[in-house]
Amino acid sequence: MRYVDEFRDPQLGRVLAGEIVTLVEPGRHYKLMEVCGGHTHSIYKYGIDDLLPENVELVHGPGCPVCVIPMGRVDDGIAMAHQPNVIFTCFGDMMRIPGSEQSLLDAKAEGADIRMVYSPLDALRIAKQNPDRDVVFFAIGFETTAPSTALTLKRARADGVTNFFCMCNHVTIVPPLRALLDSPDLRLDGFIGPGHVSTVVGARPFEFIPADYEKPIVVAGFEPLDVLQAVHMILGQLAEGRCEVENQYTRVVSYEGNLRALELLAEVFELRPHFEWRGMGFISQSGLRISEAYADFDAERRYEVPGVRVADPKACQCGEVLKGVIKPFECKVFGTACTPERPIGTCMVSSEGACAAYYNYGRFAREREVV
Amino acid sequence: MGADHALGCEPQHGCITCGDEAVALWVLKVDVERELALCENDTGERETVEIALVAPVAAGDRVLVHAGTAIAELEGVGGRGSLERVAKAATA
Repeated sequence: MRYVDEFRDPQLGRVLAGEIVTLVEPGRHYKLMEVCGGHTHSIYKYGIDDLLPENVELVHGPGCPVCVIPMGRVDDGIAMAHQPNVIFTCFGDMMRIPGSEQSLLDAKAEGADIRMVYSPLDALRIAKQNPDRDVVFFAIGFETTAPSTALTLKRARADGVTNFFCMCNHVTIVPPLRALLDSPDLRLDGFIGPGHVSTVVGARPFEFIPADYEKPIVVAGFEPLDVLQAVHMILGQLAEGRCEVENQYTRVVSYEGNLRALELLAEVFELRPHFEWRGMGFISQSGLRISEAYADFDAERRYEVPGVRVADPKACQCGEVLKGVIKPFECKVFGTACTPERPIGTCMVSSEGACAAYYNYGRFAREREVV
Repeated sequence: MGADHALGCEPQHGCITCGDEAVALWVLKVDVERELALCENDTGERETVEIALVAPVAAGDRVLVHAGTAIAELEGVGGRGSLERVAKAATA
């Protein structure tokens, strides 16, 4: 498959891994964070960490969209789903995220009309097919997904649809990265930047990382050679005493991003003053809400919701996992009380969650033995 | 989910939209007025995609699709540049 097979060439991977060894200083420990859950998934699926020198540690970041959704927002969504005459729509992984008392899947089992969709456009289609019902779409995701929601709202307006509403939980990538860099309990040497978010926002927004924190960041693709090359580029910068924004994923990411998508986001959304992130608390200007111009489609203006902040279960350490402070297997309930089948925390639900990646690719047993 | 979707959300296998995953698809046919395109993946599965953010595209182009929306043209920025840089790094 073009643009896939080439980036999975094992021979090239081994050579690149050999080059990486030459860039590290013996005795120095390197801690690199992959921001995006997609990278976490690739790293464990392809065993990329096994190809790296022992003193290069990959730390998982907060870039899994469903993993960072706080429990209170799940409860708000469930409250909307239980309203009479509502068809509630959401993406697949969101169905299994635990709220304080139940998940959307549990609510569906109780009789709420909750339907899984692949895109917001599917939800709009359901609204057109059911003009006598209100259709609420639970929107989540970073800047990768937000344009699709924005386009859908524009289309709903153009088509005169009045029974379609969006509960907006979209978040932005830069504020949590800044929060992580300001965190005293985490020392990082560099970042593997999120590839698909960057197709929309470009590489430019990450300039603050070298400018304000003197750390390198390399925006990377998701195939094994993409990730290996990004590690090579970061270590190369460190070896040469540089810190810059570099773009490994040039086949789709530009410096400026997708300007049309950015304009659309500015039209349909506005920044919330604060938004809560699971495990990270409230982060300023990190969440999007529907703009005044599209207020007619805002589910939060149409429905009363509890809006209560709910603390994570005490046993769950998703917060520390999301900040890269602990590895998934260091969580007390990992693989015992918390499994993909019966998740307690969000990181075990999504396939891009760090805990699910560890669990599904066999890191559970192996790393426990090492520990 | 529409029957024409090439890839969807499956809780048991993980949801590609939640996972911020984007899929490279070939453009087969373009409806310029509605800003939609019929696209196909490498195994022949087809879906209708919003192309307003990457238009103009034409049949034969390759687009990166997330949540039913094309967010980038695959060859629009660097083409094969990424792979060439990998090879260069590996043989440095």
